[in-house]
Amino acid sequence: MIRVEGLRKVFAAPGSPWRRARPVPVVAVDAVDFHAADGRVTGLLGPNGAGKTTTLRIVAGLITPDAGRVTVDGRDALREPAAALARLGVLGDGRGLYPRLTARENIAYYAALHGLSRAAAAARTEALADALDLRALLDRRTEGFSQGERMKTALARALVHDPPNIVLDEPTNGLDVPATRSLREVLRHLASPAGGGKCIVLSSHVMQEVERLCDEVVVVARGRTVASGSVAALCERTGEADFEDAFVRLVYDGAERAA
Amino acid sequence: MRALLAGAAVVLRKELIDALRDRRTLLVVLLSSVAVGPLVLVLLSGLVAQIEERADQRVVVATGLEHAPTLRNYLERQSVEIREAPADHEAQLKRGRFGDPVLKVEPGFEAALARGEMPAVAIVSDSSNRRAEAGSGRLAQWLAGFASEQASLALALRGVPTALLRPIDVEHHDLASTRSRAAQFTGMLPFFVLMAVLYGALNAALDTTAGERERGSLEPLLTNPASPLALVLGKWGAVAALGMGVALLSVASFLPAQALIRSETLRSLFVFGPAEALAFLALLAPLAAALSALMMAVAIRSKSFKEAQASTTVVILAASLLPLVTLFEQGGEQPWYLWVPALAQATLMNRVLRGEPLGAVDIAQPLLLSALLAALCLAYLARRLRAAAVR
Repeated sequence: MIRVEGLRKVFAAPGSPWRRARPVPVVAVDAVDFHAADGRVTGLLGPNGAGKTTTLRIVAGLITPDAGRVTVDGRDALREPAAALARLGVLGDGRGLYPRLTARENIAYYAALHGLSRAAAAARTEALADALDLRALLDRRTEGFSQGERMKTALARALVHDPPNIVLDEPTNGLDVPATRSLREVLRHLASPAGGGKCIVLSSHVMQEVERLCDEVVVVARGRTVASGSVAALCERTGEADFEDAFVRLVYDGAERAA
Repeated sequence: MRALLAGAAVVLRKELIDALRDRRTLLVVLLSSVAVGPLVLVLLSGLVAQIEERADQRVVVATGLEHAPTLRNYLERQSVEIREAPADHEAQLKRGRFGDPVLKVEPGFEAALARGEMPAVAIVSDSSNRRAEAGSGRLAQWLAGFASEQASLALALRGVPTALLRPIDVEHHDLASTRSRAAQFTGMLPFFVLMAVLYGALNAALDTTAGERERGSLEPLLTNPASPLALVLGKWGAVAALGMGVALLSVASFLPAQALIRSETLRSLFVFGPAEALAFLALLAPLAAALSALMMAVAIRSKSFKEAQASTTVVILAASLLPLVTLFEQGGEQPWYLWVPALAQATLMNRVLRGEPLGAVDIAQPLLLSALLAALCLAYLARRLRAAAVR
């Protein structure tokens, strides 16, 4: 379970020491709230630059927010970052692998950093290799991996400690149709009782993706949570039959209200 | 604290494996920093041996010596071998083909000498020809000896004591120990081992910082529960270990290199045994640790490996040029040398080569300085890591 309340983050724009005028700070996240429950897939949906990546980076402890609270299974991510991160699997924007290590070694490195024993790490790697269809890749160096192979390895690495909460930033970026489909199946499985009933949060700007996968949608625009609910509920609220129309209306109306 | 060390140990292990798999870089480092030092030493010893050989040769190459039987007689009494100079010796000397100075005697020398008319002889050499120059000093000495013998004989014939010719007696006392004389040749050794340390650590220092940023692997790394300080400590440990490893190989390579030194004198003068090697390592290990941290701190600011290479060049340049200060400073060793990293180590390594003992303060001072530098850089790295990951 992940709870985000009143998140705000302002970045000081990179200024040059030679110029007098200080550049205007950028408000990346203004007021984002959401609650992601266990056993459900929650999608952060928003246009580019809405603050999705910054929000997820704050959840992952990479950025300290100016205001607001993040709790992971009740643990404050700001006050006890290690405890929160131990219950979190993150597939962020950067998903670089170590090219001179094999896929297995890449996964084992993160297992060791999470404090897993060698035996436990090996068992988890086997289980993940089956779930993600990685077996053929395990003992190859990641140097020449395709996008899909990279993504699978990075996902296995993020899930090696069997976290009850999973955060994914634009997970389908750069994936072809079969890879996207298999990822969708994996995530569905992880959220189901058979897969452990995990709490899954993902960000996307692809409408169909969210519509097909997410139980709950949080619409984010200009750094604010504009609306949240299931796809059907959002359509009903806006009186649109098509989810895309509903989304445009939510974001557009919000802009009008803000102006 | 325990979690910190456990996390650091995991990172250390992974970074070492990663760096050791980079075979091509390792090979280049080994060739450039470990093999070059001994190679230069051996080549230099060859040159020294050649100069020594020539200085020991009792050979005079002359032209027109048939006009000076007295001089010839004197030279033969000094058991000097006399050779006739080739006709084009001037051109050959100029081009560096000919390695001996030529004694030139004009016709009528003998008669002029008998009449006391100060006949001239010439030593033909080229001051840009090092081999010939080494021999011309020796030739001048023989000629001075001949002149002084002639003068003594003339005075003795007139009943004047020869002591009048030499009112003072000059004795030469050389204070240099045999080892400090050798240090003239081995003074560049510290430069080579310093370069070895730098290049040994460089690639890993860039790969673990700017390289991680470029690959996009720093961001996921920071979503592990291990603290940034643990990650930095582990990375630094691996980089420093590589620097020290290359330093160890580089220092150790001078041990067998000694056997290859061609000059007898240089070999007997150049003492580099296990004790000297240990002293070198004791000086280099803290420096490797500090410079690794410094290079990492500089590299973490760069988004890509290439950019980081450009900015760390400044560190490398400073660390390799600072020891050269000793060459420009004519006033000998200055106290402030020991307060400058790299320069301090080079100064102390030269002391070891001269066979001077190292005091506890001499070792502690650069050690403390290195520890301080490393601590500062590591604190900066740990603070900077998160911001570097997401930007």
